[in-house]
Amino acid sequence: MQSPVTPLKDDFSLDLPTFERLLDFHVRTGATAISWPHHKGESLNLTIAERKRFAEAAVRVVNGRIPVTIHVSALAVEDTMELARHAEEIGADGILAITPYFWTPSLEAIHAYFVRLCSSIALPVLSYNSPSYLAGVEITGELMSRLIERLPNFIGVKEASFNSEKFLEISRAALAMRPDFAMLTGVEYLLPSVPLGGIGSYSAAGSICPNLCAQLFDACINGDWPRARELQYKISWLWLLFRDQYPSSLKGGMVMMGRPVGPTRAPLPTATKERQAHIRGELERLGILDTEPHGW
Amino acid sequence: MPASTPSPFAPGLVHTPVTPFTRERAIDFDLYARLIEFHIGNGADSLALPMHAGESVSLPDAERRALLEFAIKCVNGRKPIIAQVSETGTGIAAALARHAQEAGATAIVATTPYYWTPPPAMVLEHFVQIGSAVEIPFFVYNAPEEMQGTKVNAELCLKLLERRPNFAGVVDLSLDWQFMIELMTDAPRVRAGFQLLAGTELMVSAGAIGATGMFAPLAGIAPKLVRALYELCRQEKLFEARAVQEQIAALRQAVKPGGVASLKAAMRAMGRDCGEPRPPILPLDAFAYQKLIGELDAIAALRAEPRGW
Repeated sequence: MQSPVTPLKDDFSLDLPTFERLLDFHVRTGATAISWPHHKGESLNLTIAERKRFAEAAVRVVNGRIPVTIHVSALAVEDTMELARHAEEIGADGILAITPYFWTPSLEAIHAYFVRLCSSIALPVLSYNSPSYLAGVEITGELMSRLIERLPNFIGVKEASFNSEKFLEISRAALAMRPDFAMLTGVEYLLPSVPLGGIGSYSAAGSICPNLCAQLFDACINGDWPRARELQYKISWLWLLFRDQYPSSLKGGMVMMGRPVGPTRAPLPTATKERQAHIRGELERLGILDTEPHGW
Repeated sequence: MPASTPSPFAPGLVHTPVTPFTRERAIDFDLYARLIEFHIGNGADSLALPMHAGESVSLPDAERRALLEFAIKCVNGRKPIIAQVSETGTGIAAALARHAQEAGATAIVATTPYYWTPPPAMVLEHFVQIGSAVEIPFFVYNAPEEMQGTKVNAELCLKLLERRPNFAGVVDLSLDWQFMIELMTDAPRVRAGFQLLAGTELMVSAGAIGATGMFAPLAGIAPKLVRALYELCRQEKLFEARAVQEQIAALRQAVKPGGVASLKAAMRAMGRDCGEPRPPILPLDAFAYQKLIGELDAIAALRAEPRGW
């Protein structure tokens, strides 16, 4: 599943025509779903009005070809509630929400948050667990069980701890209660998660190398582990390249792939010409320039 | 690196025995001999001792050496023994490493230093000096959760590969996919035969990434289950491994909160009483023991495990 970056003009305002082109690119190059705006889409650097405007564009451009989910996580929970209602109104297929930022909420507070959010809309809700970015705040297996039991529209989790034990704790609890509960992971960590019950991931590098993403997904789902390992090593190497100054490095890489999407909003830096050249060198070394689509 | 590196030693499935104590808190060597026989007879490819599960940090230096010598004598070459030589001070750890080699250990394993939470450059020097004390293969044990967050990263491992020809692999308890993948992308290119070993019985993801071995502290409780998981992972039957992995995860989750006290309590429940842990670890109280027994009873796969010795 692809989560597009947010194209910006040189004055840092939203670039709608490029966003439309990017959405179309993802749909044409094999994305199984679109989800916007992830952190990679600079969600927290956008105003709530901007997020609504592009959410509308995403639903309109994708036009039912694949599902569209809206990432509604915001610093203020009241904004999250507002974005969730908006997503439902504009016809999105679901929402994604992380555990609340900043406050390091207790398990009971996280429970109350998801109960309120899921009860406020009829749309399916995917939760998002990211303990390493949120000072250890996480959804435990026991909390996941309680939420699943209580909330029919609580349908999955983006489990982004990238840790065997944490993933397994949640998958074991969730899949026992609901075998079709969507165990997803972040970046493209499919190799370690699919054998534990994972059914997919969001993608970091899909705007650079959609072919590689699709090949890795196929190899994992088909249990072709030697091939999956080779592809995972390659795509994870790209993650190391892009993780540094994410997502500005990713935007820099997109320039090299003929799909420029403009600068990155502060406090994140914008990839310099030197950084772009370095990324180009690495993409060339990995054979990405020859095997992946160039331009739109 | 040059081709003169030692031929790779593949530890495979590594059992990590507890250390039995008498009521007077002395090492119970008779029971230890029996326990070692149990492990050898129930699926161990190698033994690593004394690990944290074996209360290594509660053994004074002389006892630790005596324990290793005794184990090597009991095993008598039937299985390789990996000696754990972790210490706070680098010199003390290096001395333990030298002793392990002289005593006849096949390999050594060492954690990051206790207590100091040193930065990577200090951790590197610590490992270089321990590795330099011996010629036998040297494994790094990466367990950030046990070591107040101190961990090794792929860059440190690459530097250690440059400096130590006997650096053979990483025993990983970080369970961190990003680290394991980065390590296995880079390290085997520098040294063919470099190994990733799962540091506990969570091997499906590590195995998918390329782990070829596994340290198994739960093997004293459930040796069959542990062996089944290991075999399925080594045969790359990873979808089939999930059900076994979930049973083991349930066992690990039951034992983990009480640590060694739970491990020893569970061994008693399986008919293999190895006494109580040494202070400062307290034995489980009656309530915690009953809770643990209830959780063990709920794990169906344990019914097929051996009872008694």
